[in-house]
Amino acid sequence: MFSTTGPYSTVAGAMLNGALLAVSEIGEAGPVELVPVVVDPGGDLSRYTALSGQLLAEGVRHVVGCYTSSSRKEVIPCFEKHDGILWYPSHYEGFESADNVVYTGAAPNQHILPLIDYLMSTFGDRAFCVGSNYIWAWENSRILRETVTARGGTVVAERYLPVGETDLRKLVDAVIEARPSFVFSSLIGVSGLAFLSALRHACLARGIDQPGTMPVASCNLSEPDLDELEPEARDGHISSSVYFSALRNPVNDAFVSRHAAAYPSAPLTSADAEASYIAVKLLAGALAEAGTDEILAVKAAVARQRLAAPQGDVWVDAETMHLHLTPRIGRSRGTEFDIIREEPVPIRPDPYLVRSAPTDSWFASAPRLRVAK
Amino acid sequence: MSRNLLQNFRGARALIVASGEGGIDTLESVLGKLGLVVARADVPEAGRHLDLALVEERADLLFIDGDLDSVLPCDLGAARTPPVPVIGLVGIEAPGRLKALMNQGATAFLRKPVYAGAVYTTLFLGVNQYLLRKEMASELNAQQDRRRRRKAVIKTILLLMEEHHVDDDEAYVMLRRDSMRRRQSLEDYCEDYISGRSKLTASSPEAEPRTAARR
Repeated sequence: MFSTTGPYSTVAGAMLNGALLAVSEIGEAGPVELVPVVVDPGGDLSRYTALSGQLLAEGVRHVVGCYTSSSRKEVIPCFEKHDGILWYPSHYEGFESADNVVYTGAAPNQHILPLIDYLMSTFGDRAFCVGSNYIWAWENSRILRETVTARGGTVVAERYLPVGETDLRKLVDAVIEARPSFVFSSLIGVSGLAFLSALRHACLARGIDQPGTMPVASCNLSEPDLDELEPEARDGHISSSVYFSALRNPVNDAFVSRHAAAYPSAPLTSADAEASYIAVKLLAGALAEAGTDEILAVKAAVARQRLAAPQGDVWVDAETMHLHLTPRIGRSRGTEFDIIREEPVPIRPDPYLVRSAPTDSWFASAPRLRVAK
Repeated sequence: MSRNLLQNFRGARALIVASGEGGIDTLESVLGKLGLVVARADVPEAGRHLDLALVEERADLLFIDGDLDSVLPCDLGAARTPPVPVIGLVGIEAPGRLKALMNQGATAFLRKPVYAGAVYTTLFLGVNQYLLRKEMASELNAQQDRRRRRKAVIKTILLLMEEHHVDDDEAYVMLRRDSMRRRQSLEDYCEDYISGRSKLTASSPEAEPRTAARR
């Protein structure tokens, strides 16, 4: 269930390709046979619930899909009501752990926290946040604001635009006037691309070295986005992701070449495509182990899955149904990213940031130690 | 009321007093995911309550099943502030049960059977409302204490008017300035002044530069 038409069709199309590639690989090599049913909600929230209900009523129990968090939150009650599992293959802002969802994309401790570390240690401590006006941007900006402020930095401004907005002149002027150390962008789809172009042109016209002195950093800029960008606006953007197409290892080499063979006119593989590919592979592994598509058995089996994925080994955290993934930072060059930082091992997911953020110890404020003398 | 709202509850000890049905397992598992340390307490025998001192020692947060008879004593005072935040688990949604939970100090409710997606919201509301309520209660106590001691303020103003031949406004300005200088509340200062433990440091308000406090 991917919106391959509508305002974020580029990334959703890449996700569909990743999922279908895994389906075809499983068709060739097993361990189960999967029959894909493809639906396109067109980026329309109300269509997500209607289509989910329809799929589940027709006997589909496992749906790989959704890109935006608003669509995911919209369909979860439907999956709970009809006993289905949503395999959600995108990085997201966290603060969720629904019983009927398996999350195969990165949790906030696997994308935004490593990005803040990198940005503050490399570019400075004045952040400008821009985003599409929905939960992804709100929560990311909140996490960034809290972390940056706690480390003595400042957020000079936060601006939100409607999903699909492409008139960004005012926003670009505001950014240039504020001259932050970096811009943190949670703009999605066409808005994100329009912003990168507009900012680049405005800076070139004023003689500002934008990538060097005021880079745009994002947790949702991927290879297909770069492919859609005009060439002069492609270089020098910072992206935090658990997967980049440029990774060199045998599993990813095979993934990239099979993807290129299957979709010759499509852009390079991306994090969301890989997460969708992983979702289908894990689903197949869990179905094979459970011997049924019944959801309790599949949920028990998925908790034991481990996979040599294109990004490296991934495995399921049984408590949160999120994955152990490897955070990386990339800098765009052409339609690819150079990987400039990488965690040495996969990181345990922390969707509620209970281990990664400072604890608010209301209970610790009352001293429990007593003076002995 | 400048307190930041809390959002990370990791490490807090949650004690659940419930009859054992209605999705309590779900509650335990979600609290675990949120980083809390969860324990179940025995349900007190009919007519008995949990020991408040023991609760404070063992828990930072209490979940109380509204289907049980009062788990905490209901005489918590007007502000209904128990020693730790209380979240009410609502089974039978009857006014009597809800009232009993309110009287035990509940600052948030969670419907049984517990739905996983509702736990964080309830935790967030319950703990933050409790802390706000406690802060307001202590603010109110402080205000009431000052109200009780206004007699000392009036008396001191009269004494100053007499001793320094000033009007009431000027006497008040002198009082404020001197209590601030001594880093004392106006009321503390007045009590000290009346009992002779404190004397004005400046003889007249005219000796000091005018400040915003002057009217």
